[in-house]
This record gives sequence, structure tokens and C-alpha cells, in this order.
Amino acid sequence: MRKSYVTNNIKLNEFDALIRITVEMSKYLYPYIREILKSKEDIEENSVIWNDFNTRFIELIKERFNIDSMRVKKLLNQAENDEIIINSLLILSFCISKQGYQKLKNFLYDF
Amino acid sequence: MQNKLSFHQSSASLEIIGLPDYSNNENNDQISIISQWKLTIVDKPLIEGKIEHLGPIMDAFYIYSNLLIKNETPIYKSKLIDIKADNLHIHNIVLKSSKPNVNPLNIKIGNTSLSDTVNCFDQLNESSKVRIKKTMVSNYIPKKGRLGLNSKVKFLNFIMPPFIAIFSLILCSSIFIYFYNPIEDKEKNELINPE
Repeated sequence: MRKSYVTNNIKLNEFDALIRITVEMSKYLYPYIREILKSKEDIEENSVIWNDFNTRFIELIKERFNIDSMRVKKLLNQAENDEIIINSLLILSFCISKQGYQKLKNFLYDF
Repeated sequence: MQNKLSFHQSSASLEIIGLPDYSNNENNDQISIISQWKLTIVDKPLIEGKIEHLGPIMDAFYIYSNLLIKNETPIYKSKLIDIKADNLHIHNIVLKSSKPNVNPLNIKIGNTSLSDTVNCFDQLNESSKVRIKKTMVSNYIPKKGRLGLNSKVKFLNFIMPPFIAIFSLILCSSIFIYFYNPIEDKEKNELINPE
């Protein structure tokens, strides 16, 4: 999915390290994650945060991902990507505890 | 005098009331015998109960959150609590009282309140001051993860190609053995070269 011509498989220790970084970042960013989810809950009252987040998300996807891939196209489609984004934000928000690393690892293995 | 411990996460807070187990030489500030718990979610009615209700309610939230993020049908039903998704953002909780003639309590919460509540339960599970029988789902490890999916797949990838090669060799050889009859071949040779 990434915009890369080299197909390197991720090593197990790199995968672990990425999970740890993600969990630590989501602990730190939990208030923001919460606000994004909240703004989508009452979109009529407060749509600014969700729209800003969605725009930036799409910008980053276009910048770093291979936009010819069908899966990436699905991520870019604003009508379809809501569920994917909400699910991803929910996973991050469930993993901010001390056992967040193990939880996120389990979620990813179960995907 | 009972001890009180509170766990807070944004819009949700969980209060645990109980006593330490002095027979186990526990500190005065610990709670091992839980007599009551209260879950407060902002703008929602208070949820409270006894120790026997806490475990099933925590399990319900953990199972439901797992179903939700796995994109499976997010519905959880039990004697005590039902949770189902109204849509992507709203979750409908029905709490059934164990007392007769008490109507069930309906609460609708959003994704944020759901994650706050799950995080409160996580804090309770991780607290060293409360000794609670670990729920089976809080340490939920999916079957795939438990078996070590990565190592299993890697092992299969490693072992399968030589196995397939050996089996195909055996199959091909057995076909040739079936068609090739060495005695008949010997007789033919003898007929060509009678000496």
C-alpha cells in the first residue's frame, strides 16, 4: 500500500517497536482522539474538527501511499472511509492503558 | 470504615467501595472485599451494583468493544446487560435489574463514553490497590495471537515448499513405476539379442 518500490518485510522487533510507539503516542494524544470521535458523534454541532482531521488524513494518504491501489482508493473515498477511520481511532483509544501494548498487538493479530 | 477508590477517564468515573482482607495481612488502603461500585458517565444515569454484577458488566464492555473493532456484528446479550450498536457512533445499553418488577434501564452512549468506560475498567484491572478476580476478557488474547500466528505462518512457509517438492517427486516416480515393467523390458532385450 505504501508508495515504495522496495518490498521489504517488516521484522518482528520493528513491528513490536512500532506498536510501542503507537501506544505511547495514543496515550499522549488521547484527548485529541476523543475530540475527533466526539465531533463525529454530533457532526451537526461541531463538524470542524472531523472535517479538518479527514482532510489532513487524505492529504497524508495521497502523499505517502500508492493511490493506484484499490485498498488505498477505498481509504480516500470520503463516503466509505468513515468506518475505517472511526474503527482505527477507537482501537487507539482502547489501548491507552498500561497493557495497551499487549492489547494493540492482540487487536492487530486478530485483524 | 470502608475504603473508597476512584478511577477517572474524561467523561466516566468508576468508584469502588470495600474493605481490605485483614486475614491476608493487607494494608489499610487496599480493597479486596468489594461491597459496592458506582459507574458515572456524564449526562447519564448512575450505574451501581454489587460485586457479582461488576464482573459481568466489565466482560460485556470488553467483549462488545472487541466485536466493534473487529467489524463483527456488535451485539452482546446476557442476563444482566445487553449492548448493541444503533449506528457507527451510538451504542445502546440495556441494564436489567436482578430485582423483580424493576424496569430495565436504557442508556445511549457515544464512542467517546464507551472508550472512557473501557479505560476506567482497565485502570481498575491494573490497580494494585484493588484485588479483583481478573475477568476472562480483560486479558483477552485472540486464538490466533495465543498460538503465535506469526511464528506458525513462518514455520509453515518454511516447511511447506520442501514437503510439496518431496510429495510431487514421490507421485511422479510412482506413476512411472506403474507404467514401467522391468521384467517385460528384460524379455524384450533377450528377444533382440538372443545370445
